[in-house]
Amino acid sequence: MIERYIQYVAVERPPELETAAEARVRLGAKFPRTAVRRMTHLGLLIGSVLDGQTPGPEDALVYATTYAETRALEDYLTGFPAASPLLFQTSIHPGGVQQVLVGRQQPLARLWPLAGRTRLVEQALLTALLEPAARVFVVGGEERGTWMLEQGMAAARPFAFALVAAREAAGAIGRVAFVPDAAAKDEVPPSLEVFADALARRENITWSGAGGNWAVTWL
Amino acid sequence: MSASHDPFSAGLEACACLTPLGDEQATLAALLAGRSALSLTPVLGAQGGDPVPLALMGPMDETQPPRWLAPLRQLAARLPAGAWGTAREPVIVTSSNFGVGSLYAFTRDRDPAHLTHGTPWAAAELLRRELGWGPQIHVLSHACVTAHLGLAQAGRLLQAGLADRVLVWSFDFVSPFVAGGFHSLKILNGAMPAPYAARETGSIGLGDGAAFAVLAREGGPFRLEAHALYNEMHHFTGNQPDGGGFAATAAAIAARTGGRRVWVKGHGTGTLEAGRLEAEGFARHFPGAPLVSWKGSLGHTLGSCGLVELAVALAAWRAGRAPGTVGTVAPTFTAEVATEAFPTGGYDAAVLASNAFGGAHATMLLTHD
Repeated sequence: MIERYIQYVAVERPPELETAAEARVRLGAKFPRTAVRRMTHLGLLIGSVLDGQTPGPEDALVYATTYAETRALEDYLTGFPAASPLLFQTSIHPGGVQQVLVGRQQPLARLWPLAGRTRLVEQALLTALLEPAARVFVVGGEERGTWMLEQGMAAARPFAFALVAAREAAGAIGRVAFVPDAAAKDEVPPSLEVFADALARRENITWSGAGGNWAVTWL
Repeated sequence: MSASHDPFSAGLEACACLTPLGDEQATLAALLAGRSALSLTPVLGAQGGDPVPLALMGPMDETQPPRWLAPLRQLAARLPAGAWGTAREPVIVTSSNFGVGSLYAFTRDRDPAHLTHGTPWAAAELLRRELGWGPQIHVLSHACVTAHLGLAQAGRLLQAGLADRVLVWSFDFVSPFVAGGFHSLKILNGAMPAPYAARETGSIGLGDGAAFAVLAREGGPFRLEAHALYNEMHHFTGNQPDGGGFAATAAAIAARTGGRRVWVKGHGTGTLEAGRLEAEGFARHFPGAPLVSWKGSLGHTLGSCGLVELAVALAAWRAGRAPGTVGTVAPTFTAEVATEAFPTGGYDAAVLASNAFGGAHATMLLTHD
């Protein structure tokens, strides 16, 4: 069995139609004034769930998002071929979490940006469990799209989550465990959004996949 | 500032690439001959724009099916047989572009067919269906260090005993979307790249590229012995002025070389400041080791460059001769920059590096028995 203990969890689940401007007003106090003007909705939500948490230079961060910087991408495309260098930079994976860490001038040993969909949660947790770092931040989220949402290419609801997985059991609030099992079938894991909701409600989750059985449990 | 190295060593069972110059053998031959795949091409393809250096496998305008699919099928024909996409033989797809260029095509003609591969997961899903892979497909995207992350993650899966073999698959094809973006940053301009050359204006080229590697716990004679990763988070596009990020991964790998004689394949896109910092960092930690970049010929294959250039490095080692820094003439940032090809016989390891936006640094150690 491979396991890590959850030492911290935070979830942002704003109203479905919250805009980046509204998030700036709601969350602005958590960011340097100079940085907040340029942050995207997803960047603001990620910054909020990481508020008060400072990854050390030897820590690792796993970043999971299917659609990433949707609005920057939409706006970049809308302006094309008069390409905006700022929007181009912002739209590049993993811009959401980089906005937060660059804003903090927070170096990090290893950053693992994942961009899958169906098995994204499973892969993010597997990546975290394989990390030799003492503390691994698992961060994920999406922002609501506009025209890309109409085409099924963006999330419908903004959300973000962060959890800190550590080897230390003392003081833990939960546990992520993977038990290798050659007979385990690939079941459908929770989606990123369902996972965020489960974290918010401290719900236990189990499924099978990646050659084993998974359990996220609360202590 | 430090970067610890990943201790997970993995054997390279197979590794191949495809560039506008051909497979890794043809690419190596062209590089050794000093040939460049780059040519000045309108930045927006058929829609025109400033001429910029691009190395393409065909016109870069978006097509249906996407223009990258046929070359990827060609590359996949060289894959060793395997139950790819299963838990014991998972696939790690790495790219920075995936099929993003098709989104720009959709904004022009509103054809929803372009959207079938517009996001990373959709492009990976298209590949999965086309190549008959199972569901265990990891999708990684960390700009121009992505392929290194895929290789490092493969080593971890093997080390943990969770996989028997891992296929790391990379592809990046230039599109007006991407070329236009780099052009807006002014680093993709009308000049041909000259990596590590001490000149007045920097420039990069962009290139199409695809590659794969099959990694296993055992096997050889070539192994990826160690990886070092570091993220400065100093600026979105720029590096720390003191070169600390370059030094961090170079130092971590230097500590792992164990007295081996190494040559260095750097990132070397052709930008001035990053090129200088990188060359100085390697000269400090690997004094006397020849430093080369091949992006003056292949262009920058973005998220795939780490794997494309690994395949070329392996071919070079097998052939006994490594290409120099095509497109560059003296003066160079350091004396270590090799502008001419050199024999690999006197070396027992190679250090391969890539860098990315956000001050991301990735360096790995390639050894052979």
